[in-house]
Amino acid sequence: MALLCGSTSVTIPSSSAKSSISYAKNGSCKSSFVGFQVALSKPCIRTSLPVNSRRNIQVRSQDLSVVPLDERWMFEENEVNGPDIWNKTWYPKAADHVNTDKPWYIVDATDKILGRLASTIAIHIRGKNLATFTPSVDMGAFVIVVNAEKVAVSGKKRTQKLYRRHSGRPGGMKVETFAQLQQRIPERIIEHAVRGMLPKGRLGRKLFNHLKVYKGPDHPHEAQKPIELPIRDKRIQKTR
Amino acid sequence: MTRIKRGYIARRRRTKIRLFTSSFRGAHSRLTRTITQQKIRALVSAHRDRDRQKRDFRRLWISRINAVIRGNKVYYSYSKLMYNLYKKQLLLNRKILAQIATLNRNCLYMISNEIIK
Repeated sequence: MALLCGSTSVTIPSSSAKSSISYAKNGSCKSSFVGFQVALSKPCIRTSLPVNSRRNIQVRSQDLSVVPLDERWMFEENEVNGPDIWNKTWYPKAADHVNTDKPWYIVDATDKILGRLASTIAIHIRGKNLATFTPSVDMGAFVIVVNAEKVAVSGKKRTQKLYRRHSGRPGGMKVETFAQLQQRIPERIIEHAVRGMLPKGRLGRKLFNHLKVYKGPDHPHEAQKPIELPIRDKRIQKTR
Repeated sequence: MTRIKRGYIARRRRTKIRLFTSSFRGAHSRLTRTITQQKIRALVSAHRDRDRQKRDFRRLWISRINAVIRGNKVYYSYSKLMYNLYKKQLLLNRKILAQIATLNRNCLYMISNEIIK
């Protein structure tokens, strides 16, 4: 199973183990604990880690065969076999979530049910469809919504669903129906729906900025080459 | 009765606590009374969160496995995967399954296809 899934470290035994100051390719260090000098070998390992597969992992491993038996306890598991990637839960590094490498998705909101659409968008923005999902890190993608004014709702929600907001002063509650808000600011409907489905907090507010909603069919993000958002919900399209 | 000062007894006790709190922010590493309180809170949090850590990691693993499994097939989910796993008496735990999901996704697909049969 370990071989099948790609073994981690491969040690290349160094030839000049007992030489005084060894000159390995990447520079070696004189181990101050041990009475003799050991050349550290740094084999280049290529493991298929999630996003940045072009980075090679350089594993510095000690070669225990040149160490006398009564001094082997000095070397830690990490030094001998390299870091344990199977027992330590994977956590993303900074290079795994740069905004420039994240995918951009585009979805046309024409005749799509509001809640179902917002749910899939929120899942993609948060990154819950990825194996690299981490709740504390922004691993999700960017989503562009076009034709926001054509989003559909079922039943009588068009006239009965109320959007409320309060100015903070007494008597300052403002109420609007779905239809009125769609006339006034159609983008706000989808934004309101998705914001309610994203986590509330600092990270949630940052995730919300990854949603871009536009009124007509055009959007200014052609340079990001957005791809079609894969929607798995079968009941999202409103059947007339 | 002669007057007796207590000397350095209290200070010795407090320096140990101060050392613990030396990396805290602002007054939490400078003022004596606050230092004792913050040390107690820190230790209580650590104790409570050691138990919580086990729960949190299991949740994370389950989320990751679910994400990969749902992405593969149409009507497949984490719950069905676990059911099949238990039926075939495969002893892989969620941690290892999640690591396989992140590091070597094809392996997880192979496992899930095998146990579906």
